[in-house]
Amino acid sequence: MTRPQSRSFRNRLLLSFLIASLVPMIICSAMLSRISQIQMKKQMDTDAQTQTAHLMTALDRVSDALPGAARALEESRLLPRAFTSREDTQINTALFLATEGSRDLADYSLYDLRGSLRYSTGSVTPGTTLSTRWGVLFAAKNAGGQPVYLAPDPMDGGKTLLQGAALLKNPQGEPLGYLVMALSVENFQKLFAGKYGSSNEILILNRYWHPVYASQSGLNDELADSLRSQLLWGGNPGAETEEYRLHIQEHPPTGLYLVLRQPQMFTQRTTKLLRAASLFCVLVGIVISAVLCLPLSRRISQPIGRLLKAFSRLEQDDLDVHVSRDGEDELGQLAAGFNHMVLALKANRQELVENQRELNQAQVRMLQAQLNPHFLCNTLDTMKWISKINHVPQVALMSTNLADILRFCISAEEFVPLSREVEVLNRYVEIQKIRLSDQFSFVVSLPEALETCMVPKMILQPIVENAILHGLEGISDSVIRVEAIQEGEDLLITVTDNGHGLPPDMIGHPYRRESTPTGHHLGLYNVDTILKKHYGERYGLYLDNNPAGSGARVRARLPLNRKEEKEC
Amino acid sequence: MKRRILILALLLPLLAGCAGKQPEPHPYTPAQDRRLVVYTSHKEEVYTPIIREFEERTGIWVDVVSGGTNELLQRIEQEQDAPKADVMFGGGVESLESYRDCFTPYICRESDHIRERFQSESGCWTPFSALPVVLVYHTKLVTAEAVTSWEDLESPAFRGKIAFADPQISGSSYTALVTRLQAGGGEESCLSALCAALDGRQLDSSGAVLSAVASGSALVGITLEETALQHIAAGEDIALVYPADGTSCVPDGSALVKGAPHGDNARLFLDFTVSADVQSMVGQRFCRRTVRADIPADPSLPPLATLNMVSYDVEWASRNRDRLLSDWSFLLGEVPS
Repeated sequence: MTRPQSRSFRNRLLLSFLIASLVPMIICSAMLSRISQIQMKKQMDTDAQTQTAHLMTALDRVSDALPGAARALEESRLLPRAFTSREDTQINTALFLATEGSRDLADYSLYDLRGSLRYSTGSVTPGTTLSTRWGVLFAAKNAGGQPVYLAPDPMDGGKTLLQGAALLKNPQGEPLGYLVMALSVENFQKLFAGKYGSSNEILILNRYWHPVYASQSGLNDELADSLRSQLLWGGNPGAETEEYRLHIQEHPPTGLYLVLRQPQMFTQRTTKLLRAASLFCVLVGIVISAVLCLPLSRRISQPIGRLLKAFSRLEQDDLDVHVSRDGEDELGQLAAGFNHMVLALKANRQELVENQRELNQAQVRMLQAQLNPHFLCNTLDTMKWISKINHVPQVALMSTNLADILRFCISAEEFVPLSREVEVLNRYVEIQKIRLSDQFSFVVSLPEALETCMVPKMILQPIVENAILHGLEGISDSVIRVEAIQEGEDLLITVTDNGHGLPPDMIGHPYRRESTPTGHHLGLYNVDTILKKHYGERYGLYLDNNPAGSGARVRARLPLNRKEEKEC
Repeated sequence: MKRRILILALLLPLLAGCAGKQPEPHPYTPAQDRRLVVYTSHKEEVYTPIIREFEERTGIWVDVVSGGTNELLQRIEQEQDAPKADVMFGGGVESLESYRDCFTPYICRESDHIRERFQSESGCWTPFSALPVVLVYHTKLVTAEAVTSWEDLESPAFRGKIAFADPQISGSSYTALVTRLQAGGGEESCLSALCAALDGRQLDSSGAVLSAVASGSALVGITLEETALQHIAAGEDIALVYPADGTSCVPDGSALVKGAPHGDNARLFLDFTVSADVQSMVGQRFCRRTVRADIPADPSLPPLATLNMVSYDVEWASRNRDRLLSDWSFLLGEVPS
């Protein structure tokens, strides 16, 4: 009963330890990972915003360069000549002057109204034409002097990724030709160099989200296509994925879109790593909890177990139980309290017994007082003398014996020497012999050494009476023997007869099965009770039949006491 | 119990962080009236410049779905109840004709400028370019005199050495087959003669015809003028000949899908495909013949009027398609190898 309780107690303790150590840890690690995730995202957003701003500024350079150059050319008086003459260094000079500072951005070319190339800052094969009914020149023609930006047909196979064109007019507003800027891969690379993080990628989309330039080849096809179809089919093209975060921003002057792709810092790998670290911490927490919890629970559960055991002994009326205490903590105090309680209980019990005994003695004294036995003794003495005078010796003997017995009974002493007890027993037997016409013989065997043994008075008379009244009826030559012997530290007095013997249900200690004695054997019961009360449970009467022949045998066992017994 | 509530209360903010947001349309998403969905069977180099230019000129976002003619037409037919496509761009007109139920007739704005012979009677398709059927041969392995007409293909020298795509798969191959039948000699005998000349061999795609001839694994091939010209321009040892006993010039075209979600934009696109700007590029860049009368043909190509043209009946071709093709596969399988 105690084991599972202590186990469950221990388990509960362990569980509490685990909860106390693990829950804060788990919450903490979840919160930490969340916070770092948010923090990282913020950082990435800030980076992206800065980089996007830089890249937008770069694109602004493109959108500023073309109108600036166009304006500068239109202001030059040489411009009309450019579309009529061939290879004029003055016009080349004007073109280079107008594009000074932005020639690293693109090649600039002058096309006449039919789309034939006239001058260029780059190395272009002469005779190149651009259709005025198609593409950038068509758009520039219809834009009325505003610059236009177009990605040329990707199927053309040319190097140019982006074309810008502006219609050039004379002061009267008549169109003269076109200024075309052409950006190649190299131009874009130069334009964006150092303006974005090395792990990031850039994708430039045109107005309709077709790819124009990508910092990494291959991005063109896979990313641009998927972004466009997401945009058209209701997806969210800017949505972040497991691997990347995308930032998309429009550059209104050119109509281009800038896509900045950042690889996710908080990838699945980091999450996995964090999870593994958390798991490791949890395991460590479990081990530490168990290591701390087991001795503690043992320190708590062992004293409690001892206490429980003591309680169960107490329940079985063992008042000598004592719990050892091994500490001054609450459990030690509890053990001390228990010991104190047991001692108090024991004292209480003793007091109760004492009270009861005093009460009994008072009752006996009361009875003795009420009967006024001296009156009875004196009466018997008177009867003895009257019968002697009238020569009735039997009455004289009987009244003498009866008076002696009575005097013995009412004497104050409780313990008498065995010889005295035997003497009174003889008086009694004399009376009975007269009553029963001398039908039995009585033999006493008392060693001289035992004569002075102190015994409670009147313990042998009820045994002998029992033998006379129940054992010897109708038996001739019957003998009653009283024999006292020393057996170790005990005095053993045996009363045997050769009568009918005891019925089997009486064999053993008398009246153990009955709580209250009834019938004829009241005397035996009383003797047994007196012996037990005086000397303890191992003393008393033992009844059986004579093993050597017929008849009963009653043995009284009591401690060997030679001096006057002190009352306890 | 109270403790549990406390723990829940502690965990709640963590859980709340995981809740997703409602998706919103992206701010850059174009409006529906600025969109167009084009199904095209043209090659990428043909449709890309046209569609990019269309976008730039009109501001309409074009979503392109490319694929084989028959595949896309079947898809349009399946989607009849809820059409996704607005325009079918590409495919021989007899293919478009046979799916006429899926299309809405539309007479484009500049139809006056389109040559009479390329006009659609029903208006269910708009022509894009004219594509005569031609024969090609390897210039190093075959002399020019050896291949002049359909009948020359039946010569034992070419038996099993003719590159021809399966007309079940290739629309242009079917056009060529019908052209051969119209070129004379009786339908049945022509079919079996051609099957015998092929010796049971046919190619999986029309693109394979030119590579077979260029590599010399086939001596002659049957294809369209545009394809042949492109390969000649690429410098391969190939020459083309218009069959003396008759060729056809069936245009490919575009059609407006019935119930198109962006019908107005689709009409703009059809108009654009036959605009002078596109049509002049058709001739200049794609080795195709324009369908417009007001644009001069490429002077290096023989004018259509000088070629012997069979009377190609588009409606007949589309009506008899299944019958001819089953005859074809039957005869081709029967030829003893």
